[in-house]
Amino acid sequence: MIRFLFASTAGVALGIGSAVAQPLPFEPGEEDRFNWQSHEEFAEQHDLTGQTLTITGPWTGLDAQNVTQVLAYFAEATGATVNYSGSDSFEQDIVIAAQAGSPPNLAVFPQPGLAQDMAARGFLTPLDAETADWLRENYAAGESWVELASFEGPEGEEALYGFFYKVDVKSLVWYSPEQFEEAGYDIPETMEELKELTEMIVEDGGTPWCIGLGSGAATGWPATDWVEDMMLRLHEPELYDQWVENELPFDSPEVVEAIEAFGWFVRNDDFVQGGSAAAATTDFRDAPSGLFTFPPACYMHKQASFIPTFFPEGSEYGFDWDFFYFPAYEEKDLGQPVLGAGTLFSVTDDSEAARVFIDWLKTPIAHEVWMALSGFLTPHQNVNPEAFDDESLRAMNDILLDATTFRFDASDLMPGEIGAGAFWTGMVDYVIGADAETVASQIQTRWDAMR
Amino acid sequence: MSDNIVGERAGLTIAVNIAVVALVVLWLIPTVGLLVSSFRDRDQITATGWWQSPLPVELTFRARAPAADQVEENGVWVVEGNVFEDREQARWFPEATGTVTAFGSRGVAPAEFPPGEVAELRGGATLVVNTDGTFRYESPEEIEGAGPRLYFEARTPPQFTTANYNTVLLADNMDRAFINTLTVTIPATVIPILVAAFAAYALAWMDFPGRGLLIAGVVGLLVVPLQLALVPMLNFHNMIGVGQSFLGIWLAHTAFGLPLAIYLLRNYMVGLPRDIIESAKVDGATDFQIFTRIILPLSFPALAAFAIFQFLWTWNDLLVAKVFLPATAESQVMTVKIADDLLGSRGGDWGILAAAAFVSIAVPLVVFFSMQRYLVRGLLAGSVK
Amino acid sequence: MNPMVQGLVTIIVGVGGCVGYFYFANMVLDRVLYPASGPNAGANINKANRIRPWLFLLPAIVALGLYLVYPVIGSFYRSLFDRSGFNFIGLGNYSSLIADGEFRMSLRNNLLWILVVPAASTFFGLLAAQLTDRLSWGNIAKSLIFMPMAISFVGASLIWKFVYANNPDIGLINALRALLGADQAVDVLQIPFWNNFFLMFILIWIQTGFAMVILSAALRGIPEETVEAAVLDGANPFQIFFKIKVPQIMGTIVVVWTTITILVLKIFDIVYATTGGNFGTQILPSYMMAYMFRDDGRATAVAFVIMIIVLPVMIWNIVQARKEMR
Repeated sequence: MIRFLFASTAGVALGIGSAVAQPLPFEPGEEDRFNWQSHEEFAEQHDLTGQTLTITGPWTGLDAQNVTQVLAYFAEATGATVNYSGSDSFEQDIVIAAQAGSPPNLAVFPQPGLAQDMAARGFLTPLDAETADWLRENYAAGESWVELASFEGPEGEEALYGFFYKVDVKSLVWYSPEQFEEAGYDIPETMEELKELTEMIVEDGGTPWCIGLGSGAATGWPATDWVEDMMLRLHEPELYDQWVENELPFDSPEVVEAIEAFGWFVRNDDFVQGGSAAAATTDFRDAPSGLFTFPPACYMHKQASFIPTFFPEGSEYGFDWDFFYFPAYEEKDLGQPVLGAGTLFSVTDDSEAARVFIDWLKTPIAHEVWMALSGFLTPHQNVNPEAFDDESLRAMNDILLDATTFRFDASDLMPGEIGAGAFWTGMVDYVIGADAETVASQIQTRWDAMR
Repeated sequence: MSDNIVGERAGLTIAVNIAVVALVVLWLIPTVGLLVSSFRDRDQITATGWWQSPLPVELTFRARAPAADQVEENGVWVVEGNVFEDREQARWFPEATGTVTAFGSRGVAPAEFPPGEVAELRGGATLVVNTDGTFRYESPEEIEGAGPRLYFEARTPPQFTTANYNTVLLADNMDRAFINTLTVTIPATVIPILVAAFAAYALAWMDFPGRGLLIAGVVGLLVVPLQLALVPMLNFHNMIGVGQSFLGIWLAHTAFGLPLAIYLLRNYMVGLPRDIIESAKVDGATDFQIFTRIILPLSFPALAAFAIFQFLWTWNDLLVAKVFLPATAESQVMTVKIADDLLGSRGGDWGILAAAAFVSIAVPLVVFFSMQRYLVRGLLAGSVK
Repeated sequence: MNPMVQGLVTIIVGVGGCVGYFYFANMVLDRVLYPASGPNAGANINKANRIRPWLFLLPAIVALGLYLVYPVIGSFYRSLFDRSGFNFIGLGNYSSLIADGEFRMSLRNNLLWILVVPAASTFFGLLAAQLTDRLSWGNIAKSLIFMPMAISFVGASLIWKFVYANNPDIGLINALRALLGADQAVDVLQIPFWNNFFLMFILIWIQTGFAMVILSAALRGIPEETVEAAVLDGANPFQIFFKIKVPQIMGTIVVVWTTITILVLKIFDIVYATTGGNFGTQILPSYMMAYMFRDDGRATAVAFVIMIIVLPVMIWNIVQARKEMR
């Protein structure tokens, strides 16, 4: 998920630093949607009374309130004192703190790139092999999560350095169930069906897609999500990883193929509301509004899980909007890849409490409490989906649990000049008519220039 | 002069008047559009242009024939009601009355039928919606689920609201940005005036070797692109521990404003009558006294002109603020807020954008119109010499 | 500390500091270093008077030197190093700039801006100045045309979004097109090449008032006799304007022209807030921002290219200034 979006909304409440000694939102033992057994067992096995655990992270505002409530259960179970402080400038702060020799016990990284850097510089303590095995077994697409959080340490040896907790899903297509029902359209299960549906809507006289790449100075980024999703649906995930590292050049045929697969949708004036040119400037937050007009300006909109924030006031899940998994090609047999983002916990200052905390993240209750609050998805397979307070989150989490591959948003992992620069503008050029190969080779040239 | 020439003159005057009116209208229209849009309701903004804002707007709505209200009449199931009573429309029709201009039963064709016409629907059902919003839905079978959707088009009165301003100021943190802009602007306007005034006096009325070169230097520096200073000065600020901060931007604005300040003030001071200064000197006044007691008060118009200039420049600046202030919400100024945040996060929300823009240009406009006299005088002192 | 309080403290410290500096430096000079009394009073006064100008100038010279002179050298020096700032690569940044198609496009666009904006602003300004000159409501008209001067470039870009928008219910241009029967809305900011002119017009809109105010003063400064003589000779208003008036204010026109030219080279806000440099509208200052904080070597190289473009204007300005002083 593109991070700057949230900087603005989260900025209101800054630097919430609070000792966790507050009432628990859900009384242990009450409400059987929670796995209280895991809470009690953990409490019996661990006693950290008198120990303090410090955590810093990028969560501010509502997320910070939520995490302090969740951490209260850890404090309750173990007797430890937990301090969480969140900041908008977390990414700078943590580096400075580590260099100054005063890091917190645990840090929450908003994306793996920075954790990778810090692991290489020896600022992170690796997690044990048991944790890696646990992730493989208990997280959906477990291998992906281990790979994403495994980096080379200061001596070049690879180890697991992070525990993913709280993730977001991007491979979603939003639609209006009422309009789908009225027109008699079914949810496509495969990419082939999605393309058929797209053509069928045109035949029926409608416009299938609303696409908006506009985002002020960041115009173009929504297209990068499309291309990334296409990349995962056309090629093996290993190729995707090589692309992120630029071991697979940007202008290689595989990447160009992914760009052109996106082009099949966006470069057809009949498929996109207002035509391709309009897609390049329509604001991404304005784009889904076409789903809600009468007659519908479009039937489908591909966007990450945050987009309902920008739906019209009062629109309801299940009636006005719903979403389905952006499907994979049936013929490719690449499983169900999911593109997304997530935050990971890393140990920045080793202590008993820090280790126990990582173990606590394996308990269902550590996930279920936040699930019941808001805005939390987890690939943990042993949690009770009933814990979700919000039905749409539950449905979204199912997509995450069904995933066979999970990959992190490539543009967030690429160097800023590419992932937050050349890739964006290149996609705008492509959408308004430039050649995919030309665009791709321009981005590659820019990448070459950085060496 | 003959009548002929007078006639020609009158024709010319009319033509000139028309031309100027056209020019003024052309120049004003965009700003008026912004102002009007900032007071319009967000749904109406996208439905009709701001130039049609005093007219009612036809918008499409949807309602439901609630299955719970159905009654059986002679073997058909009937739902009756009024579309304006549907709670979804409460914002537009608080009195639950209105005028339907068309209706339909399908989302793809929300205005298929004129009001009063009995529409034949799929499955033998019929629907009629009247101008006053009353509807009657008949179905040969019992209605299941929540009940069928109705769509209708209705006239909404033009709505002007301050909601956009409320959102911008209260929810979107624009108030914070406003204060930040003020915080940047005032010191960055006041400080360079003093520094420049002394320098300008020295360059205008003191004789010393190298004066000519210095003046030429100031003229040259007027032209140096700001862009050159960005990287080295930010590095310098980081080195001396100022970093990206308000202190840093005050220093930067002060220095960037100096060449113009010195140039304007010197040009003005040179024009002050020589004999006043000479006679003061004869009376034994020191340069410092001459400066504070005579030159400063006499230069007030030029000082005011520069102050307005620098105020407008720093208030409206985007580049320096982007580089010398951190990009966090608590130190964003309005221009950065609009360009980097609102255009991104509210890109399609025209009412919000318009209100934000107007909040940001209101103060400069007030300053501009109240102090225009000084600004013009200052411009002339700087340019026509 | 609350930034407002900090700002207040800064004003007090800044203003107090300046006044204190000038006052005490002056006092030290007159009372301590070279007292204007005692045996060497006369010589001391002379010595003090030789130093005093530099006392008055010192803060300005330090600030200008640090923030405007040093950066010219500092930027050039930095532009000779790669992105890390450690490896000297000579003119490598410049050659990779020239090799970059986007840079060449930015340069071309920037040259277009330099040609068009000052010319158009001056033209409109002159037109407005002449037309409003004898009008009873001329001053009102002038201040309305002058008004955009007060509006930020970002604000102006937003204002013009309401003209250019690709939606006939928001954008005036598309509304007019729809009125004339066009069925498809166009995004004028996406029309290749011509979109640059739509962006330029925003700046022309802002700068016309400036040109008008100055040129109008210059027109009023023209001696009545020259115009009256032409009228007696039977010249029509156009001849009077172009043959009599314009040549007499040529000097002012050139000043206005160059002032706007300099401004054009500093503006990145308009492109940044409207197209973000997409659709072939990139210009050098906004191209530079794409590298700012990422590759300082490149960014400074771009800044230096801008400097080279303004150099002729700068030299011309200095020459003019020196001429006037003689």
